[in-house]
Amino acid sequence: MTFKKDRLRRTMMFVPGNNAGMLKDAGIYGADSIMFDLEDSVSLAEKDSARNLVYEALTTVDYGDAELVVRTNGLDTDFFEADVKAMVKAGIDVIRIPKTENAGMVKEMEDLVIAAEKQFGIPVGQTHLMAAIESAEGVLNVPEIAKASDRMIGVALSAEDYTTDLQTHRYPDGKELEFARNMIINAARAAGIAAFDTVYTDVDNTQGLINETEYIHELGYDGKSVINPRQIPVINKVFAPTKAQIENAKNVITAIENARLAGSGVIAMGGQMVDRPVALRAERVMKLAKASGLVDKGGHYIGK
Amino acid sequence: MNNLELRNLNLKDPDQFEQWSAFLKSLGIGNFSSVETDPLDGTIGLFENNQLIATGSYAGNILKYIAVCNKSSNNGALFNRVISELLNILAQKDIFHVLVFTKPKYCKSFEQVGFSLIVKSDDAAFLETGDQSITSYLADLPKFKDTEKIGAIVMNANPFTNGHRYLIEQAAKNSDHVYVFVVSTDKSLFTTKERTEMIKAGTKDLDNVVVVPGGDYLVSYATFPAYFLSYENDKIVYQTTIDALVFKQWIAKQLSISTRYLGTEPESRTTKIYNEVLEEILPPDVQVNVIPRLCDDNNGEIVSARTVRLAIANDEIAKIKALVPPTTYDFIIKNKQVLQDRIKKGMKISGN
Amino acid sequence: MEIKKTAIAGTLESSDIQVTVSKGNDGIKIDLTSDVKERFGKNIVKTIEEIVNKFGIENINIKAVDQGALDCVIKARTITAIQRSLGTSEEPDWEVL
Repeated sequence: MTFKKDRLRRTMMFVPGNNAGMLKDAGIYGADSIMFDLEDSVSLAEKDSARNLVYEALTTVDYGDAELVVRTNGLDTDFFEADVKAMVKAGIDVIRIPKTENAGMVKEMEDLVIAAEKQFGIPVGQTHLMAAIESAEGVLNVPEIAKASDRMIGVALSAEDYTTDLQTHRYPDGKELEFARNMIINAARAAGIAAFDTVYTDVDNTQGLINETEYIHELGYDGKSVINPRQIPVINKVFAPTKAQIENAKNVITAIENARLAGSGVIAMGGQMVDRPVALRAERVMKLAKASGLVDKGGHYIGK
Repeated sequence: MNNLELRNLNLKDPDQFEQWSAFLKSLGIGNFSSVETDPLDGTIGLFENNQLIATGSYAGNILKYIAVCNKSSNNGALFNRVISELLNILAQKDIFHVLVFTKPKYCKSFEQVGFSLIVKSDDAAFLETGDQSITSYLADLPKFKDTEKIGAIVMNANPFTNGHRYLIEQAAKNSDHVYVFVVSTDKSLFTTKERTEMIKAGTKDLDNVVVVPGGDYLVSYATFPAYFLSYENDKIVYQTTIDALVFKQWIAKQLSISTRYLGTEPESRTTKIYNEVLEEILPPDVQVNVIPRLCDDNNGEIVSARTVRLAIANDEIAKIKALVPPTTYDFIIKNKQVLQDRIKKGMKISGN
Repeated sequence: MEIKKTAIAGTLESSDIQVTVSKGNDGIKIDLTSDVKERFGKNIVKTIEEIVNKFGIENINIKAVDQGALDCVIKARTITAIQRSLGTSEEPDWEVL
């Protein structure tokens, strides 16, 4: 597990914490992040079992480059403290706080994480946090939640509980989520962290998944949560840059390199100045292009 | 497997019962008489697109109605899932010793998930799993030298009468040691604890008699439900065959029992068949010695526990005195009200 | 440490192992059912024994029904079963994990 704050997070795959078979195979589907769930997918009688299983898996199974996230039980449950301790001890990258309503809950989690890091001799600050937004209260407070801790790496929309809280349900057009999605992406960007969209539950409807992913991609989201590995390549494809975007990004990077070699502080390309946002976008496009297998190690375009 | 949905089925709901029974019928399981379905404590179903594709039930510590869609390509996985879910449900009820009574062809499937075969007949197999086994049951019983003459009696003693006492006396006279196995299933007017204590109290003077539990293995609700509920004759033969095999192949063998003592049975259809099956299966390894039943001096009728129960129900306690040892009589006098309350609450007294 | 109460953990599903622990009086006794018993039986038993030793339990009966579990799954299920038996699921002995 090597944590990188600034990394691709196109897909975050849910893995039920008590399922030995799925835990074993979770690394083979190429998800950017793997989220081990100790909460809703685990029955009350199996909370202890799932915690121990995820702990042992985290400390032994090689999940490659994936970012490892765990969704603990809620702060108001009997399981939460042991969940956090075990996951911190296992060296998890990120703890996902369920049903986050305000910055106080992030603080509460942070305090427990700090205590656990000290208890188990884990470098303080190693364990990061993200917040799942699952209620109207959470949506309205997402700006303060996103900035509540330096450990925060992202905020995620969880639409099932949220739509229930709004007294509506999921619609194919997603209009019921419009406000929340906009709040979350803006709060995330204002805090300099990632934004994750909710799961697309109809696993057999590929076109529906493509449409929804294109929409949240357009909004600026980093990625989506997935419940079935089959969704991963579909989402990745939506996030893959076009040939033109890649070529442009390569030109930007070349211009930066030329400026550096010339010792010039001003970077220009085609007569236009390349400012910081343009440079960052170019880097991100190249990262996506590499992850999508569209360029080789030398940066040559190998897509079709 | 991931899109499977696990549900608890409520068989009291006519629609759910219909779906469940139709599924079982499609797999050749067709007996849904209330004597079979009423004792079920719970039933689970695995659904794929709202279609029931696997199910299992439990009654006490016994698994029942295990069925998996035979069209499914992963029926092995479905079977394991059903058994696993049932064992976890039972564990939450602190039930860890689990039994199953199935067709011989399913033995392998159960053995692969940790069950051990106890006995097998031509048309039935009896298996168990968990934190106890017939081996651990037998290990806990007192042992005698195999050169001695050892007899055995199995009784429910609901309650312990002069008839039971007479049978034990006859066995004790002819043996160096006698095991009295008390039916452990608690489905009688007198509880297992009460029956055991009555037998112990009523045989205290007989030095070579040892009173032990029958556990899940002798006349238990698992192997021999017909002892407790009304079944057709062929079912009784099927069940008692397993009971007799368990006695012969495990209990008599391990405890060096050479003779099983029975009372003649002019009244109960079930017990009569049981006796016939024992006489057919046990010899030559174990001799069967049928002792004529003790008769009441007053009216010449055989002494039966059923008569005693009826007298309790009808509040004719005076009739009881001549039929039971003083220890049993004292117990009944002391607990008359409790016993009558149990009968009023619906405890059946007419069977065994 | 002593096992008094029977407890079970794990499932019979593929890649898992079902572990039942109960009171023992004759050391660590492990009864293993596994399709791969011949090749991996010794390793599975060893993994279970290591966990039992970490808890400092001297007498225990264990029934393990393996469905091709990885080492980490065997460990996790054994730990869970013992914790359940000892009633320490929510206050685990962190040294054992």
